[in-house]
Amino acid sequence: MMRITVTVNGQVYERDVPGHRTLLHFLRQDLGLTGSKEGCGAGECGACTVLLDGHSVNACLVLAPEVDGRCVETVEGQAKDGKLSTIQDAFNRNHAVQCGFCTSGMVMSVQDLLVRTPKPSDDDIKEAIEGNFCRCTGYLQIIEAVRDASGRTEGKGGLKHA
Amino acid sequence: MLHEFEFRAPRTRAELLGVLADHGGLAKLMAGGTDVIVNLRAGGIKPRVVVDVKQVEGYGALTWSDTDGLVIRPATTINDLLRMPGLRERFPLLVACAHDLASYQIRNRATVIGNIVNASPCADMAPALLCLDARAVIASQAGEHEVPMREFITGVKRTVLLPGEVLDRVVVPASSVGARGGYAKLKRISGHDLGLVAVAVHKHGGELRVAVGSAAPTPVLVSGLKETDDAATVVAAAQAAISPISDLRCTKEYREHMVGVYIRRLLREVA
Repeated sequence: MMRITVTVNGQVYERDVPGHRTLLHFLRQDLGLTGSKEGCGAGECGACTVLLDGHSVNACLVLAPEVDGRCVETVEGQAKDGKLSTIQDAFNRNHAVQCGFCTSGMVMSVQDLLVRTPKPSDDDIKEAIEGNFCRCTGYLQIIEAVRDASGRTEGKGGLKHA
Repeated sequence: MLHEFEFRAPRTRAELLGVLADHGGLAKLMAGGTDVIVNLRAGGIKPRVVVDVKQVEGYGALTWSDTDGLVIRPATTINDLLRMPGLRERFPLLVACAHDLASYQIRNRATVIGNIVNASPCADMAPALLCLDARAVIASQAGEHEVPMREFITGVKRTVLLPGEVLDRVVVPASSVGARGGYAKLKRISGHDLGLVAVAVHKHGGELRVAVGSAAPTPVLVSGLKETDDAATVVAAAQAAISPISDLRCTKEYREHMVGVYIRRLLREVA
């Protein structure tokens, strides 16, 4: 076991973890933060996407001891005081959620994108979420939600399947 | 669940080399973890110790100089490389290959050196590093030695690295600046995917090189061609150098055919 200190959504946690615990299992099982989902467990689907020191990563491909002394943000950090974040609100208004399994990872990838690129092009948006699989599939609505969250309201409904 | 192992994150190169010397073949080096953790989960590897190289002092450095060229260290992620100012102008092929590697969040973790050490036939960084005459500098407690990139990968998931050794840095020589190049990867979907086959074309000072991924046990470099060679000659040379197999993703005939298609396309695009 190793003692780690990690800040998750602004709150500091100190926990003992075995070397082989993934960050995803640490978040879900040790901290009870079950918003991040385990789809494939192998870095393909992106349902477990969280931010590590501000960068989007697959939490299933990070070991918990690696995050000692670092900052993690998960979907649980999005809504504040019962009010949805700008991204969550845009997903809601643009029908970008169907079953919801991919949504927490999508939202975190979009969070990373909008911090880096506040006014993303459609190509920027597609690149940011290429590692997040939606199997419902609502990619067009998700892209429209990201446009909306970034303040672009023109051309709604104009997207075509690539 | 992953099987149990001890996690170590040495802070200095001396400490790293000591851990590797102590544990030999029972230690598994990990950088970004995007291949190692997948292999751990699948049970393909069962190390006693997983050694994270990212905390080693100096291993996050990514430097360019006119004399030493581009020096890539073990903690340099694919996105670190892509964010490096001036890289696209100096090494457009390196940028093209890096940009085609997996998804954005994987590129935030996956490292250039890890991609090479993992030694997959489809490693996206290999075609660029082969064409650009990169050198691998290997370190152990016995000292350092250097091998050309084309000798580093020896088979499917096999390299020249011995227990106790680490790929300390990859050097892309300044003499490769000015090369023009392009990369094309055939995938089943337009999003991120492993390549069915991938082709790099590199033109520099009259010489033409082609590197092919996913078409032999290792990425293949075809050098010694000339920029003035016609497409049929180049395609024939590349097809003679590869040994594709049929697998669940496609047939060997399709791979061989698409190598020709991509070479012809890239020869037109890389002016």
